[in-house]
Amino acid sequence: MNLLTVALTTAIGVGSLAAVLGLLSPRRVRATAVGVGTALCGAAATVAGVAAIGGQHATLELPGLLPLAGVSITADPVAGVFVAVTGGVAIAAGIYGIGYSRHGLDGRGVQAAFPLFIVSMLLVPVAASVGTFLLCWELMALTSLLLVVAEHRQRPEVASAGRWYAVMTHLGLVAILSGLLLLTAHAGSDSFPALRQAARHLSPTMRGVVFVLVLIGFASKAGIVPLHAWLPRAHPEAPSHVSALMSAAMVNLGLYGIIRVGFDLLGGGTRWWWLLVLALGAVSAIYGILQAAISTDVKTLLGYSTTENMGLVLVGVGAAGIFASAGSPVLAGLAVTAALLHVINHAAFKTLLFLAAGSVLHATGTRDLDRLGGLRTTMPATTAAFGLGALVASALPPGAAFISEWLLLQALIHGLPSAGMATAIAMPLAVAAVALTAGLAVATFVKAFGVGFLARPRSPRARDAVESPASMITGMAVAAAGCVALALLPTLLLPGLGKVGAVLMGGPSAVAAGPITLRLVGVAGSLSPLMLTAALLVGLVLAAAAVRILASWRVRRQTRLWDCGAGPLSARMEYTATSFAEPLQRVFDDVLQAEQDVDVTHVTESRYLVQAVEYHRRVPDRVERRLYEPVLRFTAAWGRAGRRLAPGGVHRYLGYGFYSLLALLLLLVVTR
Amino acid sequence: MSAALYVELLDLACGGLLLTAVLVLWLRELSAIITIFAAQGLALTAVVTVLAVQQQDLELGGVAAGILLLRSGLLPWLLRRALAEAGQMQREIRPLINVVSSLLAAAGLTLLAYAVSQPLISLAPTPAGHDIPVGMAVVLIGFFVLISRRLALSQVVGFLLMDNGITTVAFLTTSGVGLVIELGISMDLLLVVIVLQVLNTHMRTAFGATDLDELRELHD
Amino acid sequence: MNGLRVAAAIGQPVLVLALSPLLVGMMRQIRARLEGRAGSGIGQPWRDLRKLMRKQPVAPRGTGQVYRTAPLLLLATTLVVSVASPFIATGSLLDPIGDLFAVIALLTLGTVALALAGLDTGTAFGGMGASRETTIVALVEPTLLVAVFALSVRVGSTNLGAIVTSTLQDPARVFSPVSLLAAVALGVAIIAETGRLPVDNPSTHLELTMIHEAMVLEYAGPDLAVIELASAMRLTVFLGLLANLFLPWGIATSGNPLLILGAAAAFVAKVAVLGAVLAAGEVFLAKLRLFRVPELLAGSFVLGLLAVAASFSLA
Repeated sequence: MNLLTVALTTAIGVGSLAAVLGLLSPRRVRATAVGVGTALCGAAATVAGVAAIGGQHATLELPGLLPLAGVSITADPVAGVFVAVTGGVAIAAGIYGIGYSRHGLDGRGVQAAFPLFIVSMLLVPVAASVGTFLLCWELMALTSLLLVVAEHRQRPEVASAGRWYAVMTHLGLVAILSGLLLLTAHAGSDSFPALRQAARHLSPTMRGVVFVLVLIGFASKAGIVPLHAWLPRAHPEAPSHVSALMSAAMVNLGLYGIIRVGFDLLGGGTRWWWLLVLALGAVSAIYGILQAAISTDVKTLLGYSTTENMGLVLVGVGAAGIFASAGSPVLAGLAVTAALLHVINHAAFKTLLFLAAGSVLHATGTRDLDRLGGLRTTMPATTAAFGLGALVASALPPGAAFISEWLLLQALIHGLPSAGMATAIAMPLAVAAVALTAGLAVATFVKAFGVGFLARPRSPRARDAVESPASMITGMAVAAAGCVALALLPTLLLPGLGKVGAVLMGGPSAVAAGPITLRLVGVAGSLSPLMLTAALLVGLVLAAAAVRILASWRVRRQTRLWDCGAGPLSARMEYTATSFAEPLQRVFDDVLQAEQDVDVTHVTESRYLVQAVEYHRRVPDRVERRLYEPVLRFTAAWGRAGRRLAPGGVHRYLGYGFYSLLALLLLLVVTR
Repeated sequence: MSAALYVELLDLACGGLLLTAVLVLWLRELSAIITIFAAQGLALTAVVTVLAVQQQDLELGGVAAGILLLRSGLLPWLLRRALAEAGQMQREIRPLINVVSSLLAAAGLTLLAYAVSQPLISLAPTPAGHDIPVGMAVVLIGFFVLISRRLALSQVVGFLLMDNGITTVAFLTTSGVGLVIELGISMDLLLVVIVLQVLNTHMRTAFGATDLDELRELHD
Repeated sequence: MNGLRVAAAIGQPVLVLALSPLLVGMMRQIRARLEGRAGSGIGQPWRDLRKLMRKQPVAPRGTGQVYRTAPLLLLATTLVVSVASPFIATGSLLDPIGDLFAVIALLTLGTVALALAGLDTGTAFGGMGASRETTIVALVEPTLLVAVFALSVRVGSTNLGAIVTSTLQDPARVFSPVSLLAAVALGVAIIAETGRLPVDNPSTHLELTMIHEAMVLEYAGPDLAVIELASAMRLTVFLGLLANLFLPWGIATSGNPLLILGAAAAFVAKVAVLGAVLAAGEVFLAKLRLFRVPELLAGSFVLGLLAVAASFSLA
């Protein structure tokens, strides 16, 4: 019994216990008990994940637990990454939930579903048979659905978001189910090792079909365009700590599925699979961040940014697949390492951002950036948390996401000479896509932080905001600490991740790291995150000291802001999130196709004098409009047609049964 | 001429060809576009001259001189004359596909050209063969100009761009087109431009503008 | 080698710091002369800085810590980049961060700090400047990185020192289409990043047209001095990068003091020539409308992509 087994069992045990506590304990202590239980479960899971990355293995077979297949569990390094990420997010979300659940979220159902959701997310990556995997996957979908609709009494939009989520997640499940069943049918057993064996003897077409089917299912879970429609609906409407879990932990499992099935079970496959994955990733990254850039709802913005980051990870995964099929496992390892590091970094900063956004929502009751502002004086801790998260999310140094994007770009740049024409065209375009994404991410998070937290309040509710309770701040602090640690010391983590990549790709580890500098193996490249931060700090101190010495020593004088001599500035004169994003919206108008209209009301005496100007802007999700609406219309038309079959007579219904039976019998006679 | 220098000069000249093709999409001012077209003629001349010097081929040198005369002398002059008569229509104000999209499309077309000319390159793995994609890209960009620009004059430039591209590919693949053939092509080209110009003038006197979209009115 | 590194680590930032106001002064002087004015002399920016530093610091009401730290952060990022880049010597003390991506990201960090400061003031001008600046930054990024891609593909590394060294060893590379296309692409991107004509007019204070100036409108006294100095340094750093990535000759490769002095002189000369060309070019240009800027950047993006295409077709 190694550390991994102990920690994993503890995590699942504590999580289930917390769920029981959520059902049984009295309302007074319920949120605290569940929160502490969840955090402990998360801590144990993090330990288990790190142990698995470190190379420990654990296997567990419980044949009697389920009829037909039984439960089989194997923890390997790849699973370890996702277990650790989920665990880490659970710590922060659990602690945060203690304070956040105080308003109407401390019902039995929600409190019991929360730890169960985490346990199911821990089980998905370690499941080692199709039966176990699908069971845990469905449990995860159901518990998360329960949590998404937790606030459906307060807000009617929640129900609609829940419907979208329920339908799309189950359609995804159908796709995964059919893909995996196809594979199982050929293997004769549903355990993963058997599938691995069977996949080798499968025809390429068959493998392609399986891959595309599971890709559809997993991509919809990861929020990849064009299957992202549920994400910007469900993530904002869920309670914020649940949003954090969904956005930082659950979507990753879609990627886990692609990696597990594509690289592990199907053993790599051909180049077109991964070109498809790369293209999906690049499109998702750009589309996601564009929508985020013009979004004014802070949680929708974060949701779209999840699509963006998952897209970036997919770019890495796709590049890895291309390199692997071109026969360069070192580069493939590098790309997959970059992708995994980005998964971890994204989990850290997205948790932090969602928790901070939740804190703002808790204090002001609004998610609309156009009504926020000035929170830095009233909510300093939340402002600091969001600021840190925004810095990391915009992929600028010294943030953690900069390092993973740097690794990704290194993989793409060095990949150029490795393989034929398709790669040579795909790589520069991928670099351009990643670069455009990075640029737009900067604009997005400057907007989110600058408009939401700086300047002056734009509404009374923002003016009267008060800082959140200590438990919520602690939750944010845990996530913030994760961000800082990942930014400064990725060198401790990267060798482990490099080995995971090596296990997946069958080459040597792609990254070697000393305590300070990380170096790429096989290609030239090195970066020192610690030195970068230190140099920036030294530069800052030097600059501050020089100004202190050289500049005038008089005290700062308070002055008026420049108001063009037109009297004091009011909040209505400030730039809002909408106006901030307007240039971008115009530049990308061909893609976004925003609908806007301006109504000018004139004074009755003269049409040259304007009384009021009303401006409406709506940016409909274009993919949704083009892709989903026809499908929905078609379905609705079929539904109406179907209604004619059901006029209400009992005899008619019995008749349907009778005729079907006859038809079946006839069919039997004919085919015999 | 040393081999390295030959390759370098050829690459540079081809780079110039591609650059001028992109610039035609980038600019709106018709007079600037014509200047760019003349510059492309120079680049094409440079390509042929480099080939001629490398192969010590006098006939090819003659072809180069012909290209120089026709493509950066006569044709731009004709176009300029047409422009001078055109009056108000000096700029491509609203192309059918806007400039940013056109430029991105040009990038895509270039990559496509590189992809599709791989078999050609493997057929002729000479230094000249390596530059075939440039010619292909110029052809594709010229075609794109034809479909995306409104004014008749820009369309003529697009057509000429295509021809420049075709000529480039021809020279790079076979390392030399006969003087007679090149002469024939040039005559055709000249004829086409003159015919188009006559048509252009007639259209303007009939409709007052040469926005080709308005030709649809003839159909109605 | 270590002596060289230390010399570069101290010499480069000092050189950039000392010369950048002079560069701005020179560019203004050239512009003035070409426009038929007398001009205020090359030393004027330094005199302005001295004057600003002596003024009383000012804190506009309603601004916070972000507003106060932004100028220092801008200066700090520029300082770090000037230490890490190969301006007078190929080896840098901060070699592990002398990476093209890292350098570009650091310079973007400085821009972001200013944009946040502009938003922090809560005035319409600040927001407008921040919005425009971040839009341009977002659009410049692909161009920059694709040009970087073209440069680093042949070298097989994005390390600045490695790129410079490899160009030194293979001088013929400079006149290849790859280098020329990448140089033009990078040049346009740099013009956009440093806010020169035709993207932004550094000498305008007209509300409809200003970008950079709108962001920093509220700053006064020493804060403004820091921003002016840092902006000038950014210009120098960008021009220095452009010069040394494409024409690295004169850069010191060993610790010989004479070589280092020569390298410093070569660096000054290269940046001065580039600055002069830029200033002379600006006389003939008008500022583009904001929504025409994407066309310019798309064009330079295409050039960058063509450079990449050329680099793999010719490789």
